[in-house]
Amino acid sequence: WLASGSLFPLSCIHTSTSLEKIGKWEKKNRIVYPPQLPGEPRRPAEIYHCRRDIKYSKDKMWYLAKLIKGMSIDQALAQLEFNDKKGAKVIKEVLLEAQEIAVRNHNVEFKSNLHIAESVAGKGHYVKRIRYHGKGMFGIMNIVRCHYFVKLVEGPPPPPEPPRTGFDQAKEYVQQLRSRTLVNTL
Amino acid sequence: VRRKRRFSVPREDREVSPEEKEKRLRSLATAFPEERIERTFYLACTADIIDPYVPPEGDARLTSLSKDGLKQKMEKLKQTAASQLALRKIKDHDLDFSTKTFPEKAQEIFIEAHNCLANFNKQKLHSLVTERCYPEMVRGNRYKTIRWSFVESLEPPRVVQVRCDSIVNRGNLYGQVTVRMHTRQILAIYDRFGRLMYGGEQVPKDVLEYVVFERYLVNPYGTWRMHGKIVPEWAPPKDPIVK
Repeated sequence: WLASGSLFPLSCIHTSTSLEKIGKWEKKNRIVYPPQLPGEPRRPAEIYHCRRDIKYSKDKMWYLAKLIKGMSIDQALAQLEFNDKKGAKVIKEVLLEAQEIAVRNHNVEFKSNLHIAESVAGKGHYVKRIRYHGKGMFGIMNIVRCHYFVKLVEGPPPPPEPPRTGFDQAKEYVQQLRSRTLVNTL
Repeated sequence: VRRKRRFSVPREDREVSPEEKEKRLRSLATAFPEERIERTFYLACTADIIDPYVPPEGDARLTSLSKDGLKQKMEKLKQTAASQLALRKIKDHDLDFSTKTFPEKAQEIFIEAHNCLANFNKQKLHSLVTERCYPEMVRGNRYKTIRWSFVESLEPPRVVQVRCDSIVNRGNLYGQVTVRMHTRQILAIYDRFGRLMYGGEQVPKDVLEYVVFERYLVNPYGTWRMHGKIVPEWAPPKDPIVK
């Protein structure tokens, strides 16, 4: 039962970041699955990571996100390192961060055993500013920002889908013809 | 031309020496006394284990060979002067304390605390475990599933050391008791995705532990709570985490 007025006059104990809204993608890292029975196949680990308000256009970011989509993480990092766009540097940092988080917090054994299941670019907060033209004319311009979301899954990347050939299309057409039935009759 | 007067010092104060300024400010301080912002805090537990017990080497292994000799040595250790002094101080404050009944209660507290850990019952855990021990127990467990169960006690628990200490002020007594427990437990930790990370559900393990319990003696409503564990240097290494 001590009175410590002189020791800590203004010590604030509550320093949490609960005032900012936590996005949906960050909350996906918080779900806990029930323990698996010994007979079930091992569930692959999924790690969600994102970066908010990157100063880049979402349309330009989309090209990079689509480039990376089905690759393994090593291949993705290699491609981004030698890509000339500004967003490539940012995405590379995000992927490295996500890899680090996976190994440290989510019980992933090999850092290169991850592949990119989903990679999406979304619109960030836009700010309106005035763009000055000649003769006293002005335009309203948008300062454009984007978010980048990535989902890493443990395991080798899934094999790419074989392209649809004419033979496949023909087979499907014949199947459709065969599955026709007479409706509203006896 | 802007006509508002800014940053002008009154004529009396323009050529005043710094000592006179100080004198004037000091005379004003008595008119507005500083309010002391008092924020009290309450220390419910000590920060560390006082005088950690050094368990003799080969404690759990040699008992089968020379039972009687070791038992005598154990009892002699318990009767060291410091432990006796501390025991007397504790009995002054807490009349019901006895080295014979306490180990069972200690074991019950131990089992309940671990059950609360497994069920994530934080309120009850706070009442069974001191503030120093709580973060050690709970760190890293938020997104994991823990399954723990107590099978049996291989040897009856025994009080091994008693210490009493006061922090900050002289009469502020905290008592610490080290209890030696040799038990069989089952522990299984599953990570976020339900994969087994450590231990096994059907694998009971023999565990020799030296658990320290603490109580704030001066507080009449204080309770004995788990304060920490002493890990001896000769303890066998733990199993690696399965990934």
